This record gives sequence, C-alpha cells and structure tokens, in this order.
Amino acid sequence: MRVIIFSWEYPPRVVGQLSGYVNSLSDQLAADKVEVNVVTYDDHSTSLTQEPSGVKTARVTNPVKTHIGVLTWVLTLNQEVERAAANIFYDSNKQVDLIDVYDWHFIPAAVTLKNGLGIPFVFSVETIEDHRSPNSNTSYNMAIKSIEWLGFYEAKSVSVKSEWMRDEIERIYKVPKEKITVISTKPDSWIKEVQKLYNSVSETKKNER
Amino acid sequence: MKDKLTVMMLSWEFPPRVIGGISPHIYFLSKALSKQDVNVYVITCDFPGAPAHENIDGVEVYRIDSYKNPSPDFATWVYLMNMNMQKETAALTRKIADKIDLFHAHDWLVANAGIGLKHVFRKPLLVTMHSTEMGRRDGLHTTAEKMIHETEAWLTYEAWKVICCSNYMIGHVKYAFGLPSDKLVMVPNGVNINCYEDLDADLQDFRSKFALAEEKIVLFVGRLVYEKGVHILINAVPKILSKVNAKFIIVGSGYMKEQLLNIVRSMGLEHKVLFEGFLDEATLLKLQKCADVSVVPSLFEPFGIVALEAMAAQSPVVASDTGGLSEIIEHEVTGVKVYPNNPDSLAWGVTKVLQDDGYAKRLRDSAYRRVQDRYDWEKIAQQTKRIYEGVLGEYSKSFWA
Repeated sequence: MRVIIFSWEYPPRVVGQLSGYVNSLSDQLAADKVEVNVVTYDDHSTSLTQEPSGVKTARVTNPVKTHIGVLTWVLTLNQEVERAAANIFYDSNKQVDLIDVYDWHFIPAAVTLKNGLGIPFVFSVETIEDHRSPNSNTSYNMAIKSIEWLGFYEAKSVSVKSEWMRDEIERIYKVPKEKITVISTKPDSWIKEVQKLYNSVSETKKNER
Repeated sequence: MKDKLTVMMLSWEFPPRVIGGISPHIYFLSKALSKQDVNVYVITCDFPGAPAHENIDGVEVYRIDSYKNPSPDFATWVYLMNMNMQKETAALTRKIADKIDLFHAHDWLVANAGIGLKHVFRKPLLVTMHSTEMGRRDGLHTTAEKMIHETEAWLTYEAWKVICCSNYMIGHVKYAFGLPSDKLVMVPNGVNINCYEDLDADLQDFRSKFALAEEKIVLFVGRLVYEKGVHILINAVPKILSKVNAKFIIVGSGYMKEQLLNIVRSMGLEHKVLFEGFLDEATLLKLQKCADVSVVPSLFEPFGIVALEAMAAQSPVVASDTGGLSEIIEHEVTGVKVYPNNPDSLAWGVTKVLQDDGYAKRLRDSAYRRVQDRYDWEKIAQQTKRIYEGVLGEYSKSFWA
C-alpha cells in the first residue's frame, strides 16, 4: 500500500499537536510496511528526503511570499502540494492508494487530485473552524467552513479521534455517521484501526475500477 | 496519435459575462481556433441565465460555480474561485481522458487553476498576459497589489510560453517578471472586421442625427479617464474648429465627465461637442463607420483596440505615439501619429486628415488592408496554433511526455 499524508505541520515545523501525531503515525505505518509519503510545508528545507524510518517527505514552500491573509496563503500553497503529490503519483507508476489529509488547509489539493487522477482521500479531522472560532460568521470564517464542507463532501471517509467529534461533524456539517470513523487513542490498537480504514478506502477504489 | 490538437482555455470571463477585454478576446480566438481544426474547451465563471455547458460554433464552453459565498475581498474570491475552477476542470479533463494537449490561461485571475492542472496532468501551460498589476496600478503600492504581482510572476514562471498582444507589452512583461526573451511571443489582439459590413444601408440617415451635412465627424471612444487623454482632444477642439467645421462626438463615461463638460461650456462649444455616454453596440458600430476621423489621444495604452476598430470600420485614425498604438499605426500610412499630451500636435493631425480627402482615403484604405493581414482573427488563430504546435514539439522530447 502507498499512502500520501498531507499535513501543514510536520517536524521540524511544530505549530500544535498535529505535527507530533503525524510524525508517529507515519513512522508506525512505515514500520508496518506501508509506503508513506508526507507532503508538508516548510520555507527552508524544500528538498525531498527519506527519514530513517523509511518515510519519504516532500516539503513545499509558497511561491507567493506576500499575502493579505491565511486564505490566500493556503490557496496558493495548495498548487505546490498538488505538484509534489502528482510527482509521487507519476514516479510510482500511478500507484497511490489514497491520500490522508489532516485538517482543512490542503483539502483543495486533495479534491483536485481526486477529481483529476482518481485518488480517493480520507479527511482526518483534528479541529474544525466552528470550534476554533465559535460564533464567527465573517466571510473569512465562512470560506474556511466551505473548504471543510467541500472536504467532508468529497472525502471517501472521514476520520476523527472521538465520538464527540463525530457527533459534532454530523450536527454541524450534516455528514452521515456511517462516513465517519472514530480512531481510538489506545496505544495498542490505534495504528491497526488506521490501517483498517485505509484498507477499506483502497478496496472501494479497486472495486470502482 | 490523435490527429486533432486539443486545448483547454481558462478564463474568468466569457460572453455573456463581459468585464473587460479578455471576454471578447477568448470568444473570437476560440471560434477562430476551432476553424483552424483545433478542439477548444473554454472553462469560465458562471453567469445568470447562461447555460453550464454549451457548444458555440464548435467551441465547448463550460461555466463553473464561481464560489458564491461572501468573500473577504476580490483577490481572496479569485483564489477561492480558482479552487472550484480547478476541481471542475480536473474532473472534466479526466472524463475526456488523453484528449487535452495543453492548458492556456489568461491573466492571473486563473493562475492557480492553470498551474495546478499543469502539474496534475503533466501537460504544458501557456499564458496570455493581457495586462499586469504593475501597469494597472502604475507601480505596486499595497500588500494586495504585491501579492497579485507575485502571482503573475509565478504564472509566467510556470508557463511554457508567455503570449503578449504588443511589443510594448513584451518589453513591459519581460521587465516586470525578469523573463528570458525566448519565453515571450507576440501575437497581436484581433478585431472583428465582419461586424462593420452591411451597415451602409441607412448610414446617411443615421449620420444626420449627430451632425449637419457640412460638419465633419470627429469621434472619440473610450473611458473618460486621465490615461485616455480625452482632455487633450477637448483642448484641441477650438484649434481644429478654426480650420474645419466639425462635430465632436465623445462616447464613453468616466470620472472626468463633469470637468470636461465644464471646459466645453466655458469655451461656448456645447453645440459642437456631444457627450453620448455609453452607447449600444449597433449605434457605436455605425458611428465608427460614419466618423471622418477617429481620435485616440491616450497617454498610456498597452494595446489600443479602439484604434484597430476604427481601422476595421474604415475611419482614418489619429493616435498619440505611445504604447501599443505606436505599433498599430504606421505614421502617414495607416494613420497619423501625434505627440502624446500635446493639443497642438493633435489638432495638426486631425486638421490634416479632415482637410485632405485624398489623404484620408489613402489612410483608410491602407489601414483596412493592414487590419486584414495582421489583425484578422483567422491569422491570429493560425499564429496561436503554430505556437501550440511548437510547444508540443518541445514537450514531446521532455520526460513528461
């Protein structure tokens, strides 16, 4: 199995908890013989690397340096994410089973890759805009929510870390419960649950061919 | 290998959505390319009442959901719209698998979509730069302007070739983005010659609504803004009237209108200078056809389409020697060039054309021939197709092919 993970933070870039989580997830997957490519953002070390664990990374920077907000920054960075992912796709003879996208930032790229190249994606949710910015319905927040909505709509599957989050996504975005998988945080089983989810997404992809 | 070249054109405007010059440009270019045996898909923003998909003379037009939620500002909307455009174009490109040969983007407004699609499908990207943020704003002053400028730079960097509509724009774009010369190609803008045919029937009647039989018609068409130099023409009016009897017809609107009206009133020439505001297309075409001279006194002009329209309408042109106009007009052959920002020079040019019918006829005849062999959409489509073929030839030797 070959998986691409999209995350806007990955060591050495640490913004919140996501960085560490994606790091241990990708290492664990690699240890279990899954071929893992992490596509992430970094302004300085933008070459392709291979970690000791076997995880391959592609760090992309934003080709446009001056921005008026996070939205314009994210939306231009997405093209570089697409470029990195497309390179992995073509270099692996078009054998990419799925993309696992962490939070909304790189949803636009995942959606284009799904529609253009037929790679399904999992939308893995750490937090959602409605919780980060409660009661804010400015056009700026709405745009982020609409990108999250697009992600829920286009994703083959949604993964969360708690039943509470599953219920919140169902309540706010009207996503059917069957589409959302709760990955437990138990040290002995979480990686198996992630792989089970990956397998089910990759199986449906094969059946659709 | 399939026999027909297929291009996917990306534009934020296409008729009936008309915001600026890109919309008619894509409309005529696509139709003319289709006649040159090129498969053309146009992906553009939706418009109330226009169908999501239609075929116009062989051109497949798809109108995408252009992001309807409120946006914080125009530039952010552009990037959000590009997200949708990219998604829908990707799905369409996949559906018509292996058929797309290249993507052709027009201006920064579709930069993200064009660049993303290039990498996802590994097909060459071409861009036509119709204008630049630096030129529009006369420099880069705000964060938003710098961001747009950098987006333009990124787009020209990712493009295989950058097409500009005049040598003036080639020079400007080369300087603005530091591009190598061999990346830039000049293909002029075109003009539709056919729309001026079959207008002769009631032209005398039509003319008499604007001018007396003994008055010559001097026509200005353009926005009433500083860079278009309409105030230079107003200042030249008394100088011209001292030599020739004429009526000055000003078509267009803009922030200078009141100021210009006041100048005309203070000169006591309200009966000689008519401000017509915006006119419908049929009336405008007839006026251009009737004009004894068409004046383009611009101070800044990347291309100067209005001069070409006058030439196609067989109206003699007097234009200031600046920007794209300098290339369109060959002095005393296809028109008269005058010093920019100089009412005396402008008056000299206009008077010369109006006083010498033989001279005016020579200008209009050679201008019309020039339009036919250089600015005809058929010729422009042939040139564009050759650029496509050249790029595909280079591409076929790359590791992407």
